[in-house]
Amino acid sequence: MGDDLRIQAVCGFGCGSSLFLRIKIDKVLKENGLTARTFCGDVGTAASTPCDVIFCSEEIAERLESRATVPVVRIKNFRDEAEVKEKVLEFYSTLKD
Amino acid sequence: MREEVIPLSNFRVGVKAETWQEAVQAAGQVLLDCGSITQQYIDEMIQAVYDLGPYMVLMPGFALAHAEPSPAVLKDDMSLILLDKPVEFHSENDPVTIVLCVACVNRDSHREALIRVAAALMEDDIYDRLASAQTVEEAYTILHED
Repeated sequence: MGDDLRIQAVCGFGCGSSLFLRIKIDKVLKENGLTARTFCGDVGTAASTPCDVIFCSEEIAERLESRATVPVVRIKNFRDEAEVKEKVLEFYSTLKD
Repeated sequence: MREEVIPLSNFRVGVKAETWQEAVQAAGQVLLDCGSITQQYIDEMIQAVYDLGPYMVLMPGFALAHAEPSPAVLKDDMSLILLDKPVEFHSENDPVTIVLCVACVNRDSHREALIRVAAALMEDDIYDRLASAQTVEEAYTILHED
């Protein structure tokens, strides 16, 4: 956990919308006193990139879920901090089990 | 955000578009006209929506039009357009009023500028005011305020 936890934000090319999502995840982590290593990935290589969880949009999730070996968390509205917070905290709660 | 991330000349308001393809073309046209991209890049952005679905509609009312860094990008640049009437991208976050077009020569080259724009656009207050801006000067000011 902590700094060792790797959160991959994924989009089509790994340099556009995933960056938006990463910024929001970083903000939520900071506001909740959580730490993790966040980075961006593209849909083509994300499933084989080592990480502990993937965050992405609905459309990207549909392409990734069959290939990913880590949980894939779907975010509908990147601007909705409540949605991102809820889903980030929900993922963290699964780690304590 | 005091430092300029999108030049005033790359903003448009009241842009007319009937379809999402026309909206992406219009946002890309700004960068085409100033020599930052070729038409090929606009075609790639449109193709990306066909290939990957409307995931670029990241949040209600907003689409991030972009494609992979390619030779069709001549220089890093961004444009931001406000549509006269919102269009449908067939996304849960429809209809779209603001289209941000991002062109980058490689994956890292435009990161800092895009981070600044992204952080501003994801603030409800800034987004709402930007969506109702009436002039390019107003849109530019809202995006660049602290």
